[in-house]
Amino acid sequence: MTATDTLRRITLWLTLSACTAAYAGTPGPTYTLVAARSSLTYTFEQAGAANVGRFNTFTVRFDPTAGTLMVVIDMRSLDTGDGQRNDLLGGHDFFDVARYPQARFTATRLQKTATGYLATGPLTLRGVTRTVEVPFTWRTTQRGGRAIGTLDGATVIRRLDFGVGQGQWRATEWLGNAVTVRFALDMTSAAG
Amino acid sequence: MVMLRNTRTRWGALSQFLHWLMAALIGVQIGLGLAGANLPLGMSKLATLARHKSLGLTILALALIRLTWRALNPTPALPGALKAYERRLALATHVALYTLLIALPVTGWIMSSARGFPVSWFNLVQLPNLVRPDPALYHAMVLTHIVLASTLGLILILHVAAAIRHHFVLHDEVLRRMLPGPRRIHPGVMDDRH
Repeated sequence: MTATDTLRRITLWLTLSACTAAYAGTPGPTYTLVAARSSLTYTFEQAGAANVGRFNTFTVRFDPTAGTLMVVIDMRSLDTGDGQRNDLLGGHDFFDVARYPQARFTATRLQKTATGYLATGPLTLRGVTRTVEVPFTWRTTQRGGRAIGTLDGATVIRRLDFGVGQGQWRATEWLGNAVTVRFALDMTSAAG
Repeated sequence: MVMLRNTRTRWGALSQFLHWLMAALIGVQIGLGLAGANLPLGMSKLATLARHKSLGLTILALALIRLTWRALNPTPALPGALKAYERRLALATHVALYTLLIALPVTGWIMSSARGFPVSWFNLVQLPNLVRPDPALYHAMVLTHIVLASTLGLILILHVAAAIRHHFVLHDEVLRRMLPGPRRIHPGVMDDRH
């Protein structure tokens, strides 16, 4: 047997082993959030300048194999970087976090795209449910025997669709209707 | 004939235009600032403060243009009859005016940045934040901005009072040479073009 043949055999064996392992790996793991390394921010335009804030507490469960994605946001964790703005945006005219302490997104459809996925499903925010589309990229690596995933993306929603901005705040001349929601999530497989 | 440039006896058309334009803008700006500070939190407060910021940036740019133009032109001489302390007072007032017209927009801009509200110029251009959000700095800048604005108010009163005194009491050319109209050479001052 020549050296080339040996190499071919080894390659074939490795390939088969990899395929078997991949098959055995189905169904894939469910990923949950590494909160300390994840961020969920929003940006809207106020008088021509970007106004940015974040939510500090939220949970995400993602199973790429089963095609499920669920996000729950604790609206009381709103952090605008300014006390007065926290009170205003958390208050009745905007998120009304006392009455609607949670926002929720559940993907009812998860389509594979060239760079990741497109999740489609209901978003419930301030008691209003509307279907939104959320494109995101998904990359996984192995670290210490666990699958580590990064889920990054952004989507634009209209705040007035959800009643975020009541009364005088319905006007969009100085507070834009379009809100970009950005997320950069570190996730780890629950199975470990 | 309209002279664009200054001479030793008269402000040119560009200096005059910038002077009166800024006078009008500063008047509006003080009104917007007072209104913005006193309005309750609401859409009209946001709109008023947004206009105040845009106008402040405009005034900052105009002040820099004026200083540049001033450096590139002769400055009309003060009337020869003025006493030494009057000359010093005139110089100090003008230095203070230019300083405040730069310091006020800059402190306002730092205020907005320190509060986490980025500034735009008339919804057209978003400016970079000068500092990171910082509540202590914000409060210090609010105080500074108020003190500087009050100082500007006092100096403007002094500036206008001096112009009135020159025109109606001393009967010299100081106010007239900042106004368009026919040239009238003050008998005590030679025009450097002759």
